[in-house]
Amino acid sequence: MDKRIWAVGGGKGGTGKSFVAASLGLHLASLDRDIVLVDLDLGAPNLHTLLGVKSSHPDLGDFLTGRVASLEEAASPTPWGGLRIVRGTENILFVANMNHYRKLRLLRQIRQLRARNVILDLGTGSAYNTLDFFLSANPGVVVITPEPTAIENAYLFLKSCIMRVLKLYMDHYKIPDLHRKMLDQIEKNSQSLYAFFRSLIDSDRSYGTILYRALRGFRPCLVMNRCRDERDVLLGRSVADVARRYLLIDMKYLGSVPNDDQVQASLRGLRPFVLEHRDSAAARAIRQMSEELAYSIEFTQRTPAEIRLPDT
Amino acid sequence: MIKRVEDWNYYELLNLERTASQDEIWESYQGALATYQPGSLAVYSLVTEEERALILKRIQEAFQTLRDPKTRKDYDLALLKRAPYYAPKAAFRKSIGKMEIDEAPPKKGRWSWLKRVFPRRKAAVDLRPPEDQ
Repeated sequence: MDKRIWAVGGGKGGTGKSFVAASLGLHLASLDRDIVLVDLDLGAPNLHTLLGVKSSHPDLGDFLTGRVASLEEAASPTPWGGLRIVRGTENILFVANMNHYRKLRLLRQIRQLRARNVILDLGTGSAYNTLDFFLSANPGVVVITPEPTAIENAYLFLKSCIMRVLKLYMDHYKIPDLHRKMLDQIEKNSQSLYAFFRSLIDSDRSYGTILYRALRGFRPCLVMNRCRDERDVLLGRSVADVARRYLLIDMKYLGSVPNDDQVQASLRGLRPFVLEHRDSAAARAIRQMSEELAYSIEFTQRTPAEIRLPDT
Repeated sequence: MIKRVEDWNYYELLNLERTASQDEIWESYQGALATYQPGSLAVYSLVTEEERALILKRIQEAFQTLRDPKTRKDYDLALLKRAPYYAPKAAFRKSIGKMEIDEAPPKKGRWSWLKRVFPRRKAAVDLRPPEDQ
């Protein structure tokens, strides 16, 4: 089966990651696709609330504590066709601090889910767990709003992803300490990414090529949520362009979602917005984005970056 | 290819194809101005003020050059001259048989040496004068 895993993330909270994830899932389910939404916002899960799902079915916490053997058993059905959801847990505390082996097991189980599409709804911040879930998807979708705080955190999130990719490849290829020191300089912001690659390629061309290819394999998408006017739409394009130039990544601007006050009203009524207001501009934008993700040749033929997690 | 901001040519700077029309140049210029103008949110926390000012200056230079067909033509010619020259490698030398490519380096090996020492006999040239009509 041709499985597709998408992750919806971004550094800042409240930008609408869960809204975008839920809406993408609902629209693709309406196209007769089998979808599993996984709430990986481990510290503050609320994807099920956006969908208005209440059930006593096992959730992610039950899988992580071993009460159910597989993640498949934790995926509960919803009233919307082929859409299932793995709810985040609210009963078990400190799940967010899962150790490395639990994370690897969870990633394996996500890949083994019996569904053609899996959408991961990630939490805020740039913790290793969040980054690894984001990097396991193809493509990862970064959701921002037209505010400096959201843009600042999105850049930080992307830089953290880049550092994570480079470190994983350095560990895998056992690249010497000299290059590790260079990487530390980037983290301390005393050297730009361009200068790092330039000096790396000058000192060892083969390592430079490996790492640059690894970086170009990281191809996230950008969604600008809550756009109020044309300037906000253009700002989304500008952010993707600046990320392409300064972070050297192949970032695609997926689109913008117009601001709609009805989203809050739907949320208060525990009803999914895209089903309640099908003809709104926001719902149309979500439909367009999900169809592009699902059917565009650019996305279907994208090969994921090969990420090997270290075993230690 | 990794390039510094200073090394981007005007087309790369404005995200344009070499064949871009005047309308496309104007549109890209407006987009680039919006991205790198003072106080732009797009560069917030990622690009320093000096870098932003530098790239904005180059964007204006790029637009001034590309909007005038004459200066654009001169610039295109200068770009062509700066483009690296890759010598032809004549990869299809064997398959094309009789067509020999002058730039192809001489082949090494015993068989090539034999062919050089004992060149193929050329067809006899008819030196007789043309018959009177």
